[in-house]
Parts: sequence; C-alpha cells; structure tokens
Amino acid sequence: MSLTDANLVLHVSNFSVDYGYADEAIRAVTDVSFSLGRSRVLGVAGESGSGKSTLVYGLTRLLRAPGVITAGDVRLRLSGAREGEIIDLLAATEDDLRAIRWSEISIVMQSALNALNPLHKIGKEFDEVLRVHDGRLSKSQRRQRAEELLALVGLQPDRLQRYPHELSGGQRQRVMIALALALRPQLVIMDEPTTALDVVTQREIVSELHELRERLGFALIFITHDLSLLVELADEIMVMYAGRIVERAPALDLYRAPRHPYTLGLMESFPPLSGERVAMTGIPGSPPNLKTPPAGCPFHPRCAYAHDRCRNEMPPLNDIEDGGRSVACWLHDPASPVEVPVSLSRRGDTTPGGVK
Amino acid sequence: MASNSIDEKGNHGVTTLLRRLAIYLFTAWTTITVNFVLPRLMPGDPIQQLIGKLQGRVTPEMIAAIKAQFGQGLNQSMWTQYVHYLTQLLHGDLGVSITLSSPVSDVLSSQIWWTVGLIGVGAVVSFFIGTALGVFFGWTRGSRADVVIPAATFLQSVPYYFLGTILIMIFAATLHWFPLMGAYDPTLSPEWSWTYIASVLRYGELPLASIVLSSLAGWMLGMRNMMVTTMSEDFVLMAVAKGLSRRRVMWHAARNAVLPSVANLALTIGLLVSGSLLVEQIFNYPGVGNLLVNAVGNEDYPLLQGIFLLITFTVLGANFLADALYYVLDPRTRTAAVH
Repeated sequence: MSLTDANLVLHVSNFSVDYGYADEAIRAVTDVSFSLGRSRVLGVAGESGSGKSTLVYGLTRLLRAPGVITAGDVRLRLSGAREGEIIDLLAATEDDLRAIRWSEISIVMQSALNALNPLHKIGKEFDEVLRVHDGRLSKSQRRQRAEELLALVGLQPDRLQRYPHELSGGQRQRVMIALALALRPQLVIMDEPTTALDVVTQREIVSELHELRERLGFALIFITHDLSLLVELADEIMVMYAGRIVERAPALDLYRAPRHPYTLGLMESFPPLSGERVAMTGIPGSPPNLKTPPAGCPFHPRCAYAHDRCRNEMPPLNDIEDGGRSVACWLHDPASPVEVPVSLSRRGDTTPGGVK
Repeated sequence: MASNSIDEKGNHGVTTLLRRLAIYLFTAWTTITVNFVLPRLMPGDPIQQLIGKLQGRVTPEMIAAIKAQFGQGLNQSMWTQYVHYLTQLLHGDLGVSITLSSPVSDVLSSQIWWTVGLIGVGAVVSFFIGTALGVFFGWTRGSRADVVIPAATFLQSVPYYFLGTILIMIFAATLHWFPLMGAYDPTLSPEWSWTYIASVLRYGELPLASIVLSSLAGWMLGMRNMMVTTMSEDFVLMAVAKGLSRRRVMWHAARNAVLPSVANLALTIGLLVSGSLLVEQIFNYPGVGNLLVNAVGNEDYPLLQGIFLLITFTVLGANFLADALYYVLDPRTRTAAVH
C-alpha cells in the first residue's frame, strides 16, 4: 500500500498527534499525509504553534510526554546494509528505533547550544555517535572522520577540542550539521536550524546546506517560519496552520503564486532577500487556541476572504491545477461564491513582490 | 576568535580560583584575629572566674596558661601578643584546655577522628546512595515509582534528634540489635586489635544508619528534581535521537544533573563539626561535637576557641573544595563569558 515506489524515502499518512489525554487532549497535528522522495528537500512552514515541530518529532518517535500519537502510519525505506527494507516507524520497538536513529534519520535542532551536552568537548560528540553505531572504527579513525566532517562545514579540526560554549552560534550550528551527517543518513530533519542566527550566518549556512545536499544526496525536511529562506533550498513546501497542511506545492510555484490566504500572509511577513523594498503587512490576529478551535476552517477568523462556508465546514486538502499542487481552501472550490482574488490566482511564472 | 584563546581562557579560570583562595585566606585571617581580640575585650575578670570554677584543682602552670590566653600578666603590648599568638598558631599551638589540662591541639587531634569517621563517612555514604536513588527516581518520573516522593519528603522533615532517639528506643533499647551508646565496648581499651576495630564498627552501625537515614532523602529529592529538569533539556533528547542506549542517555542527564549536588556535598562536609553536635550527644559518641558541648558547659575558653577555629577552617576549606570541584567538573566555569 504505502512506499511501493522505490524512489520514496518516507511515507506518512493520516498522522495525528495530541498533547494530553482524553478530555484534556489538545490536537496539535491533524491528519497529515505526505511523502518524501529520495534526495528531495521538503520545506515545512508555519507560525509558532502550527504543529510543524510536533509533526517531525512525532514521526521520529522523539515526542516527549504528554505528546501522544493518536493515528497514522509512517514508513521509512532503509538504506545501506539494509537497503530495500521498509520499517513501520510507529510500530517499531525501542531497539529497532535505536538501530535506525542517526544512521538513517538524524536531527538538527533550533538551539545548538542546548542540543550539545555542555560538559562534552565537540570531539566527544562525534566520537560517541561513531563509536555507538560502528564499533569497528578505531579511536584514530573516529578522530579522522570527525575532522573530515568538520571540514565539510568549513570548520578547523581544532574545534574538536572546544566546548560548545566556546564556539559562536554559527559554528555551533555547523557542528550540529556536521554531526547530523556523521553516519551518512538518508534523511536529515532540521528544525529551524537558522532561526537563532543572524541573517548573514543564516544565508551562509543555507547555501552550505545546498551544496552539502548536492554532494551527499540526503533527503531533507527543513522546518522554518521563513518562507523566503525555504524557497532557495526546498523542492517542495508544505504550509501548516493549526496542525493541518493548508497548502502544498513545488517551492517556486508556492512562492510566486500562493493559493492559500495564509501562505500569502506568511510571505508578506518576511522581506524578500533581494529586490525592491515592499511593505510588510503580516497576518492580523493570532493562531487559534487549539483547545477550542473555531468551527469550519481554522484560519477563517483571520482571513480576508472568508465566507459562510468557511465558518461552518472544514475545507479538505484538494489537488488543484492538474494535481501539481494542493490547497485546503474553499476559495478554490468550483462552487465558491467568492471570486478568487488576483493575489491568489496569478500564474506561477510571474514575478510578484520584486522576486527575480 | 584567536587561536590561542583557549589558553587565555584556561588561565582566566585558574586566576578566578586563585582569587577565591585569596578571599578565603583573608577570611581565615579575620577569624583568627577576632579569636585573638575577643577574650581580651571581655569585661570583669574572667580569669578569676575560671580559676574559681576549677575549685582548687589548679596548678601554677595552668594559671599562667590561662593568663597567657587572655593576655594578662605578661606586660606585653597588644601587638607583641598578637605576633606571639600568630606564631603559636602557625606551630599548631592552640593553648591549653582548662578542664582537660592538656594542649587543645592534642585534645582536638585525638577527638576529630571520631567525628570524621562517623559524620564524614555518614555524609559521603548518604550522598552516594541518595544521589543514585535520585537518578533512578528522576529517570522514572511519572511512573508508579513516584510514590516514594511523599515518603522521602516526610523522612526529610523529621528532625534528627527525634529520628535518632526513636532509633535508639526501638533498635537498641527494645530489640537490643545494637549497643545503646558509646563508640566501642567500654571493657576494651583502644588499641590496634581486631577485637577493638570490630567493636568500633559494631558501635558505629546505628549512629551511621541514623545519619544516612536522615540526610538520604534530601540528596535523593535534590538529585531527582535536577534530573527531571535536566531531562527536559534538548541535549538529552538529542542523546535519544542519536540512538544511544538507555544507560548512556541516563548518563548524559545524570552527569549534568549531579553538579549542584557535588557542590552541596562539599558544603555539607564543611558543616561536619557543627553537624556532629546532635549525633554525638544522642549516641553519647566521642568527637568534636561532644567536646564543644562540654567546653561550653565548663566555660573552657581555650578549647572553645580552638574548636571555633577548627569549624572556621573546615567551612572555608570545604568552600574552596566546592569551588575547585566545580572547576574540574564544569568546563563553563573555566572560561570567561565569550559572547
């Protein structure tokens, strides 16, 4: 049924996550389905609290209490020695998971300062993952591998002797990226890896990532709230709102011609990295309280184009434009009483907002 | 960042440690000076009072010693006396105990080993057991193992004298499982023989158990709480994501969580002498605490002063030990803030 296509690495269907139990439960991720191709880059965008981090921590079974996976199916195609094997991530035992962690899926977290053990030198972080996952490597081989990995992200080998707090924010995040690539995983997940960095470092790291990915060919799930950053890196972008996917499209199409009012709002919240100055408008209001989500489309209280149907009925994620992209919005329903505004209907080959 | 910055930062850490050492030395000097000045400021004639207390059991040498202690009858200037006092102190001469008629340094050095042996060992044992339990109960937080928390809180709130007395009543007086009091069988004489050592160990069991029991819960709760806090840190989640074994993940958390406890252990050892007071009274055990109570009761000022100096030095020494331990255990203390 799932993951029959040998070019897919990951297939997720109808995935839901709650925080808390029974009556107290808050639905953080609802009915998310997607698949990720080998060596592809999937961008996940959305405001804080949209469920994007919860989604990836859920998929990798790293969710902490009180997070509970309530529904779904997640399959991962393994690589290397276990090539061709498909593992059911949600049914996997602790031992199964331990075997694929870091060697098949690795993670880069938002704050490298918090993600690195403050009492360990950088060298020890590398040594540990290499030793735990490959007992055949000698101490000097591990050391050599660590130096190669640091060189990959443009860091000097002497950084191995440093403690995390002795490095700059950009260096720390580069260390995290090098660490994530240590075992050549086929899937790397990055949870807002550049959010805590200044814009210049952000750009450097994103272009380095681009290069690394070309060279090493790992698939990447990149989470951010900065759509303009994503468009340079991602093949495809998913926009999440209130725990659901509201729009999914090839990166450039989404950026040039958004179809969901929320995507449009997100784009207007960030200045383009190049081109003319444009007015930042942002999105009025704030994300819904997930404990008492509004009826109908969760975005309708903040949406300029909301009509009656939006207030009562939840729009499904439907394919539009010959299946090349999908959107969950009643505006694009053929029966919509409201005409689709120009900003949400322009063609993907135009250049809005000064983007070249 | 300069390539030699690690050395600069390393040196900075040592400098910090040396600065702390200087502060402790200054504090020690202040205490010594106050110790010298106080008896000389006492109103009335404390010497006559003391000699009166001894009710004739007093030799001319003792009177001279007492007078010297209070700076009288020597016709020396305050400054000369002060230099003399410091010189004496440097040679380990703390004066002569009035009630015990022997040098204070001899009295202290014969009694301190009882205190170190009982209170010190008790502190270290309860630290290790309590911390290990804390790691375990922190790791299993939210499970049924949490039922120990209220029990531990209760145990922690029981005053020591109450716990000690109850233990004696039940296990020594009623069940006769342990000797009632003392440090060894009174029919034996102190010597390096197996019988004597076995007796010391036997008599030490109940007091040691009482110390461990009363301080165990504190270590356990402190470590558990630190463990729970540390386990919500990203680097622990990272350890799981890296596919490390459960034990390794626990080690990542515990190694970070134990830092405050280690500092506390050093400080607890600083309270060794004052902490020994209740234990030694309740179990009628020899040691510095017992000595202190007797010295207060008999107004044995030279002995009191000696004990106070001992307390000051253990507290200062333990504080410095805590600083040094932190320096070794936490690399962040070794470097100045970089950013």
